[in-house]
Amino acid sequence: MSYKELKSRIDAQQVTFLDGGIGTEILRRGYTWASHQLKSEPELNLEIHQDYINAGADVITTNTFQLSKRSFRNHFANDEHLEAIGARGLLDRAGELIHESVALADKARRSLDRDNCLIAASITTLEWCFRPDRSPDVEKIYDEYLEELKDYADAGADIFLFETFNSTPEAEVAINAAKEIGIPAWVAFVPYQDGRLLGGQSMAEVADAMARNEPDVLLLNCAPPDHITAGLEQLAPLWDKPLGVYAHVGKFNPPEWQFTDEYSADQHLQECKHWHDLGATVIGGCCGTTPDYIKKLTEFFS
Amino acid sequence: MSYKLIKEKLAAKESILLDGGIGSEVLRRGIRWRQHGIEDAPDVIRSIHVDYLEAGVDVLTTHTFNLTKRNFINFFRDEEHMALIGATGLPAKAMELCRTAVSLAKEALAETGMAGTVPLAGSIAPVMHLFRPDLSPPENDCLDHHEECVEVLLDCGVDFIFFEGMNNTREAQAALQAAAGFDLPVWMSFVPGMDGNLLNGESLSNVADLARGNGAEAALVSAGTIPMITKSLPNIINGSPCGAKAIIGRYNPPSWKPDFYPCFEDTDEVSPEKYAQEVNSWLDQGVQIVGGSSGTTPEHIRAVRKVIG
Repeated sequence: MSYKELKSRIDAQQVTFLDGGIGTEILRRGYTWASHQLKSEPELNLEIHQDYINAGADVITTNTFQLSKRSFRNHFANDEHLEAIGARGLLDRAGELIHESVALADKARRSLDRDNCLIAASITTLEWCFRPDRSPDVEKIYDEYLEELKDYADAGADIFLFETFNSTPEAEVAINAAKEIGIPAWVAFVPYQDGRLLGGQSMAEVADAMARNEPDVLLLNCAPPDHITAGLEQLAPLWDKPLGVYAHVGKFNPPEWQFTDEYSADQHLQECKHWHDLGATVIGGCCGTTPDYIKKLTEFFS
Repeated sequence: MSYKLIKEKLAAKESILLDGGIGSEVLRRGIRWRQHGIEDAPDVIRSIHVDYLEAGVDVLTTHTFNLTKRNFINFFRDEEHMALIGATGLPAKAMELCRTAVSLAKEALAETGMAGTVPLAGSIAPVMHLFRPDLSPPENDCLDHHEECVEVLLDCGVDFIFFEGMNNTREAQAALQAAAGFDLPVWMSFVPGMDGNLLNGESLSNVADLARGNGAEAALVSAGTIPMITKSLPNIINGSPCGAKAIIGRYNPPSWKPDFYPCFEDTDEVSPEKYAQEVNSWLDQGVQIVGGSSGTTPEHIRAVRKVIG
């Protein structure tokens, strides 16, 4: 499927399926998330993508959450300090791993003869996603986004999925950079229990800002189902273009994940039906969800 | 209190040997870096302590660097967000782990029969990332944070407090103030930058003086490469107790973790013998307390013991 075909399906309000958790799936399968395991365990990455494709995902996501040059740089006082004390080649590592990640997702779809499955580049905020107080100065980050997006574009990603964003100003920069590259942008924000963004903005502000910037799909993600519901109830009446959701299940246990049985795949499906009723048509899973969760979704909605 | 022995050594100008990397050693031994390895592999942590004791340290350090409530809260927007989406028991987790970490060090002391002779230093890291002085919070936050850390470690029965890797003057001052309310000796180490001053560019000799003037019984430099540490020495050596320990290898952090992660690569570029030679030159310049930062191993400390005698 070309992106154009996917978009016409989405615009026609047909349900479209994303994949589920990747980092948490690596953990659940007994590995650490060190270096995203892209070079150390390529087979593991490949299998996870294949499992999501087999579960019926229309769009699979690269294993690149929080993988950026800045994330490495953030461990040092400055570049001179990094040069003196940091691992060799550290500033090139994000770019290399980005290429690796897209190649693995591509290999997965080819291996299953599913060239019609599209690859979304997972890109989160430049600073820690759950810390809106650390958001960078938006006047200074355009080139940084551009550089990162070019890596994904060169590697062959079909969609930029800006996910787990906590405020609209940074998302606007990201979307503008995506426009310059010429690859479609989808944007997913983290809602909180009060139905506002984690950074405090109301959904009305989100809808206004996004109406000006026109991502192809606007989503809510990386929050527990009740926060997703709270956000969606606010956002859906204000947004008549494609809307999506992917919630996390379980609890964040830094630096890993606590898997709980609070939302089984069946209960998650019930939540998804409710979100579909509220207007969400692009649906998948975030941290803690597995290929089984996606399979339940695709079996029900297809 | 076995700290008395250290105090006597300091007064007599004798050399004092500290341990080497602990977090980096946990990773080197193949343990996954979650909860500092304390829940997954207490035996490994205990044996790291035993190995340092057998290598001949005069002081044992607890595996509590960067192990605070704040290190968990930092992953979330705030405490409320942590309570809603964080794992069960997370708010109390850090302090529980701290207590276990101190117990493991004490068990190692008991196991080697050194409980009365080798004092236990309670390690406290900067509030935020060791290498990010710019992230250090306002003074009152630093004060509250360090007070809580000191209180827990004191309650666990450490012999003295070792503030390790302070990277800016404001936080150093707050940490000293936090410890001043408790009846416990304090040491403080500073992270140097490239120019031999504090990592954030402030004067190292000024902050070392400030530490000494506010109750620190020793001022040290740590968490720099050998050249950084060597360059910084003239700024801390002034006739009163001072110390040095360097990182070996190159810091190899993951992208997905915002706090310090003690992974170091290429550590074999500095052999134990080579490290001991460097330490020997520091001792010649007037440094009295020596040990190793991240990347150094019990073998490095054993080699240093040989040159100290």
